[in-house]
Amino acid sequence: MIKIKVRKPDMVENIKLHLDALLTGVKEAVKPGTITIEYPRERRWLPDSFRGYILFTPENCISCFQCSFVCPANAILMKKSENNRYYPSIDYAKCIFCHFCVDSCPGSALRQTKIHDVVYIDLDEMFCPTENMINPPEIVREDEYTVEYLMDLDIILKRVKERDDLIPEVKPVEIIKEYSSCYEPDSCLACGICVSSCPNEAISITSLDGEKRLKIDADRCTGCGICVKECPVQILKLVKG
Amino acid sequence: MIMEAVYELLKAVSKEHFMENMVSIPLIQPVIDNLLNIPLVGYVVALILWKPMFALLIFPGLLTLMTVLLFIIWFERKLTARIQWRRGPLEILRWAGGIIQALADGLRYFFQEVIVHRDAHKPYFIQLPILIFIPVLLPLLFIPAGSIVGIKTPYALPVVVAIVSLIPVFIVAIGWASNSRFAYVGTIREAFMYFAYEIPFILSVVAMILVYGTADMTAIVEKQTIPGIILNPVAALVFFISTIMATSRLPFEIPEADQEIAFGPFVEYSGIMFGLVMTIAYEKMYILALLMSVLFLGGGNGFPIPLLGDLAPVIWMFLKTMAVMVALAFLRSIYARFRLDQALRLSWTTMLKISAVAVLIGAALNIAQVA
Amino acid sequence: MSEREGEREMLLDVPVEPPVEMFLPIPRRFLEDAYRNDDYIVLVGPQHPGSGHMRIILRIKGDIIVEAIPDPGYVHRSMEKLAENRLYIQNIPLMERPAIMDTGNVTLGYVRAIEQALGIEVPERAKYIRTVLAELSRIGTHLYDAGILAVFLGHTTGFMWPFALREPVIEAMTRISGTRITSSFIIPGGIRRDVPWETLEFVRRVTYVLERRLKGFEKIFIKNPSVIARLKDVGVLSKQEAIKFGVVGPFLRASGVEYDVRRVEPYEAYDSLNWDVPVADEGDSYSRFLVRVEEIFQSLSIIRQAINELRSIPEGNVISPDVLDGYEEASSDIRGYFYRVFGNLVLPYGEYTSLTEASRGTLLYSIISDGESNVPYRVRVVTPGWYYLKGFMESLRGERLADLQAIYGSFGYFPPEADR
Repeated sequence: MIKIKVRKPDMVENIKLHLDALLTGVKEAVKPGTITIEYPRERRWLPDSFRGYILFTPENCISCFQCSFVCPANAILMKKSENNRYYPSIDYAKCIFCHFCVDSCPGSALRQTKIHDVVYIDLDEMFCPTENMINPPEIVREDEYTVEYLMDLDIILKRVKERDDLIPEVKPVEIIKEYSSCYEPDSCLACGICVSSCPNEAISITSLDGEKRLKIDADRCTGCGICVKECPVQILKLVKG
Repeated sequence: MIMEAVYELLKAVSKEHFMENMVSIPLIQPVIDNLLNIPLVGYVVALILWKPMFALLIFPGLLTLMTVLLFIIWFERKLTARIQWRRGPLEILRWAGGIIQALADGLRYFFQEVIVHRDAHKPYFIQLPILIFIPVLLPLLFIPAGSIVGIKTPYALPVVVAIVSLIPVFIVAIGWASNSRFAYVGTIREAFMYFAYEIPFILSVVAMILVYGTADMTAIVEKQTIPGIILNPVAALVFFISTIMATSRLPFEIPEADQEIAFGPFVEYSGIMFGLVMTIAYEKMYILALLMSVLFLGGGNGFPIPLLGDLAPVIWMFLKTMAVMVALAFLRSIYARFRLDQALRLSWTTMLKISAVAVLIGAALNIAQVA
Repeated sequence: MSEREGEREMLLDVPVEPPVEMFLPIPRRFLEDAYRNDDYIVLVGPQHPGSGHMRIILRIKGDIIVEAIPDPGYVHRSMEKLAENRLYIQNIPLMERPAIMDTGNVTLGYVRAIEQALGIEVPERAKYIRTVLAELSRIGTHLYDAGILAVFLGHTTGFMWPFALREPVIEAMTRISGTRITSSFIIPGGIRRDVPWETLEFVRRVTYVLERRLKGFEKIFIKNPSVIARLKDVGVLSKQEAIKFGVVGPFLRASGVEYDVRRVEPYEAYDSLNWDVPVADEGDSYSRFLVRVEEIFQSLSIIRQAINELRSIPEGNVISPDVLDGYEEASSDIRGYFYRVFGNLVLPYGEYTSLTEASRGTLLYSIISDGESNVPYRVRVVTPGWYYLKGFMESLRGERLADLQAIYGSFGYFPPEADR
């Protein structure tokens, strides 16, 4: 426990405190400790893990919907594309940049960038469809310098005359192969919901001796888990392959 | 009889009469001589360079006032920003460090809507911010820079102090015309502060009148072979603190206290009217800084610069005035605001005692001089 | 002719009438009584430079405040109700919204309640990094509050400097979590990803920079005579009063009560680190401020010690295997597994409560789970601001009108936090 004791300064102390304050002011006026980064002309150095604008790689997407499920702000809308797959699109009017979606994406289809200054004309334009998420957005870059804060006893601004690359290399997530399997085939209703829900046509129903059986093609299955969610009797689950 | 009067009048406004009492600047004398020979232009040049007119228009009058206003607002912001690890105004005229920021703000105020709210006393609400310029500008006529002075009178100092004392009356009237609760609180505070600083302020001026034995400002400047601040430092301190209080600058920014009562008497103003009332404090600061440089810093005294002739005292005085204003601006980034009762206690006890000591010192010096 | 709605010219010719009947959340008798006694009522806020997002109804006699009635709720966002419609994990960004600078502590409280329900033991390394994040948030909040106090007193340098000093803190948080303030970095079972050694070294250097720059701040603001004059002996809460009105946190400690949740019920790494609880006896505005200044220095020391401890703990493994449940690959970085791990988090039936020492005081989370749904049945959040609002209002009594802002700043009252 630290006891903080203060008493009213007497006259002499008071004058000393006045002088201290004035001298500090003079010292700063002569040699200021300015830490301003003149933003449009200079850009602050940001770590690669900076949570900015989100880019999307459709090839890696398995349409698992996890990004839209986990989004706390309901900003991600899954839209059906031409190849019958569902891809995310982000409404930046709602996005809070928590990057739960990026952290959820099992195939590194979503990745972070350092872009944080995209300008939109109106709210409608802030809805960013899948096509626009593939390539980085167009931003006007006036910056010539990149400024980094170095902490070496005092704040030191290290100005480098170069443009920071706003799209960092992101190490892809190690993909673990998972596929859907039925652990209680006897309970299967053969309703076919899983078949129609599968984006990869990996599930089929075969008739064997008049009894309908579920057949899951483990090679075609991407492990997205949609059928697991859809199954009305909850007999499907993801297993590691 | 009438003819004589007309003749006298014509003589008074004749070019020759102006040329008798003209600001002489050896550096550009040939140019002036050439200009004087051109019929109409010559008359205008002679009129402007006529010393009373020069005092009114150039220094310490309108032109310098405008320049100082634009400069000190920018400089204050820049200095404060520097102390506070910021950049300050920069983007408007970037290569000059944003020096015309105040002009840009003024323009913006000019094109903003002036709202006169329903409860205001409309005529006074609109008139007073303009009428207040009378007591703010009049003292400029009496303040000398070397031989340049608008009205030369042995009672210059009392006249200036009397006119300056009128300003708070106008501010109280502004607060009354605003008829708002915060304006009311601010007006009361302004009135309290007025009583608090006025007596030490006048006493410190009286002390200096005693020191110099005259109230004629030209004579006061001439008598200052040793600057007044060394003769009577106590009076200088009292005068400085009273100036801070009078211009309601930190740590005595009590009547305007924007976090407490949202600019007090000026809370209801908007647009160019707000721009006008906000410059009052700076104009008052300019006048009191001029007064301080005359009373304590030797006014236009300094090394004579032969090439500049009559302009040399003008420059010295300008520099001294600016130094005082910079010191006042500097305080803004150092202090927090005192409470009203603390400021009143300070002025009615400590300041009053110190100013009494200042008068005693002045009296002692006066007796010494007489003896 | 543009088709855009916004660019069409519109004529507004509506005669604007000010509302005749004003709603005031006080009884009519109070108003009549005030006018009969020659007092007057001043409404400070919610659109006032010195009120924040709340209204304070002051009854004033001359210059003295006779009674202060708060009218909070202008920034109420029904967080508790919103939390009932979201997954447990989705509530983390929601919970950090109210106390924007205090992200480390508010998420820590919520996450600890979940961990308590699931019975998870957090890995050692995650504990220390969480402590660092919580203390960075504490420094940031105290600096923020110091800045607000300064601007309430009209001291602009005292406002700008702490806000500039927040910048290294924010930079440290950016490097740790990837974003400036809403880090959402603490998750049930640990933290989102391991923090590399260079970043921790950077944070350690930040503490020295802060200490160095705070010396100048002490001269120009903390020990400034005008500041002392404004804060000393203003808004005094005695020890008994502070306890009676339920004041919490540094403001309770400023009145002489040594109570700190980090001491009483240590969580994370606090019991293995060496630090002190600053306590003052006066209970006035100045000691409330000084206690928080001293806490900044204690936090700096805690961060340094935690980083020194982290040196000996091997990197990796920052998420508890109990929560990963089959996805052990993610133990050093949750990337790729976030939804798979936390998407179907269901707490067992019951009520789980956690107490946290947030920057402004005790923060209580209470989660009620029905045991089968993946959203909470009820989340109760009681923020420190709500606890000490009563004490704040009582300390205004008998002070001058100009002291309202000084006392407000000395409490660091933050309406979004109190209103939730």
